[in-house]
Amino acid sequence: MRVEYINPFVEAAFKIIGQVIDQDATRGKLYLKSVSQPVLGVAVIVGLAGDVEGRVLFDMSEETALAVASAMNGEKLTQMNQLVKETIMELANMITASAVTKLQDLGFSFDLTPPAIFTGVDMEISNNGVEALIVPMEISQGKLEINVAIRERI
Amino acid sequence: MKSKTDFPNINQKKAEGMSPDGVPFRVLVVDDSMFVTKQITQILNSEGFEVVATACDGGEGVEKYKELYPNLDLVTMDITMPKMDGVTALEKIIEFDADAKVIMISALGKQDLVKKSLLLGAKNYIVKPLDRKKVLERLLMALK
Repeated sequence: MRVEYINPFVEAAFKIIGQVIDQDATRGKLYLKSVSQPVLGVAVIVGLAGDVEGRVLFDMSEETALAVASAMNGEKLTQMNQLVKETIMELANMITASAVTKLQDLGFSFDLTPPAIFTGVDMEISNNGVEALIVPMEISQGKLEINVAIRERI
Repeated sequence: MKSKTDFPNINQKKAEGMSPDGVPFRVLVVDDSMFVTKQITQILNSEGFEVVATACDGGEGVEKYKELYPNLDLVTMDITMPKMDGVTALEKIIEFDADAKVIMISALGKQDLVKKSLLLGAKNYIVKPLDRKKVLERLLMALK
């Protein structure tokens, strides 16, 4: 996977998370995975289609999702209700859109699918022939992983 | 005994979401995200605006605009929505009322969509994440 696809996601994640949740977010070491990976419990997926294709997955535990949604709404949320889900989807949407804007400025042309959210236990995700790059982020609400799998369209 | 006039008014700043005669500006919020609608409503209410209706997609937005017209001052319009997108809804609202004050809101900073919306008659454009100052500044500018 080319690094120019990834950097905009890392930069966008820092920018948006810094603005809406935690200014002191830190990034862990990036790593590549080509096999199945576990999903932490709450995952938002946004698809990309155009000059490049693939998906971005935003993954966190339910506890972290509740804490992030509480921070973004300015009120304590304790149940995985519709507001929590829509808040987490909006976070994923803002990060992906910001990254895509940068990639479009660099000359890549593609569109986004609306975000979808998965919740559950013991889930995993596999990519058929596409390596996934995982960007782990530590925020005061917990751990958030941004999992990007993109390839160029042949 | 102290009368009311003995106390200074420490809160002289007028809420900006109201017309000079104290009537709140009436706003229609069109967005498919419950979170964003809630956020915009909170920002606007805090400054004295009145959110008179909300809509979850462009089609519903156009319908509500027509129902509320002419008792409506502003529309905030998301771009990416199911059924009918915000740019199409903007076009339909401007067709119905050439003086409509519509402010586009999107997470995408795509230049072509900004340009298209402004050419179609949108008064301004806000890129998410929404920040209270930015939202109020753009909305008030459109009302002037």
